[in-house]
Amino acid sequence: MKLRILLVLAITSIFSSTLFAQSQADDPVSLVESITGKIFADVTENLDEYTANPELLDELVRNDLMPLLDINYAARLILGRAGRGLEKEKIKEFADCMSNLLVTRYSKGLLYFSSNIKLNVLPQRGDLNEKLTRVRTRVTLPEGGEAPVDYAFHKTSDGWKAFDVVIEGISYVTTYRNQIMPEVQANGIDSVIERLNTGQMQLAD
Amino acid sequence: MKKTHSIIGVILLSLLLAGCAGTQSRNTDPENDPWEGYNRKVFAFNTAMDKVVRPIAVGYDKIMPDPVQRGVGNFFRNLDAPVTYANQVLQGKFRQSIDTIGRFLVNSTIGLLGFFDVATKMGIPYYNEDLGQTLATWGYEDSRYLMIPFLGPSTFRDGTGRAVDSFLNPVTRRIYNDGRWGLYIVRGIDTRARYLDQDAELNEAYDPYVLMRDVWIQNRQYQIYDGDPPMMDYDLYLDDDLDAEEPVTTGGQ
Repeated sequence: MKLRILLVLAITSIFSSTLFAQSQADDPVSLVESITGKIFADVTENLDEYTANPELLDELVRNDLMPLLDINYAARLILGRAGRGLEKEKIKEFADCMSNLLVTRYSKGLLYFSSNIKLNVLPQRGDLNEKLTRVRTRVTLPEGGEAPVDYAFHKTSDGWKAFDVVIEGISYVTTYRNQIMPEVQANGIDSVIERLNTGQMQLAD
Repeated sequence: MKKTHSIIGVILLSLLLAGCAGTQSRNTDPENDPWEGYNRKVFAFNTAMDKVVRPIAVGYDKIMPDPVQRGVGNFFRNLDAPVTYANQVLQGKFRQSIDTIGRFLVNSTIGLLGFFDVATKMGIPYYNEDLGQTLATWGYEDSRYLMIPFLGPSTFRDGTGRAVDSFLNPVTRRIYNDGRWGLYIVRGIDTRARYLDQDAELNEAYDPYVLMRDVWIQNRQYQIYDGDPPMMDYDLYLDDDLDAEEPVTTGGQ
């Protein structure tokens, strides 16, 4: 009798732990772990090729990292009231521009860290609520020490998506917003998009 | 003690000048930066000064091998240990304050006056506290942004804190009294050299003044909360009118 109960308990616990694991798989922490893990492994393996052809790395980042991000939401946060009255296509164009910028920067970062790249994803903490959470990570720097890199996630109809990167407390969204909002208000969105696109070319050399 | 602290003089003067800041041209962040008019003038002054300082920092960065430069950084960081210690005690962080004493003793001796950060290798963690952070944890949370000539971004609270800290730090005081203030020129150059990587970013910004302010204020907040500030309220950033249209939640592209 006792044995049967134990057996039932054991089976249900195995069952529930697989269920648990499945629901865990798309939580923000696991998303960051699996996606960055995949990208870093790829970079470590093919470092020479990516150093020679950075556009291949851009491609990798675009395909693997971008689905994790909600760039349109980030773009709307950045534009704020400067996005008022803009056509949806314009906002989309601006969002594309931001995502290109992000891809280029992220790839450059990967090459800078090269094969020494180590990322430590800290466990989820209490501040997880139903819509918004933060994933905290530590990147080991080549010259020693660690850089704290946090990702802000929110829940969409499409699952958890990241929309902000915060490095040493400095939020990309906030920092870009305070630069771009006044620029859009002064020069218009088209001029800003053009500048960001040329700026991105400058970054590439 | 006569001309003990030129740093204090500079800070006090700038606090005084900010107090009588005149009309303001722009007000991009009235909440955090009501002295923007004055601050922009100091920013312009510091930028002009940088035309002289930067080439020296570039030269220093080129000549100094990385390990030596790291050593210099370690040396100066070690001199601030008494400030961190005192402020850890003031904030009730007693266990951490013991680490700070331990670090200071180990690095000042085995680490050859602080050049080698032996303590970190021994697993003693590094903390950074100052009076500005202490005042913030005591409840003086919001303070006006203040650009200080030569020293750069700060707030009224942090500038005052910095003056008091450097006045009371027995180690740096001793160095001043010995007339070795030349060390502070080296420190200035070394500090400047650490920011060379960020110059391009700053120069390309639409508004470099605002970029520097944003980065500084956010990073300072991060220090005050020891690396764990509360998550900001992103909803404030959304435009209600734009939002009303329809929520766009596509996942990247």
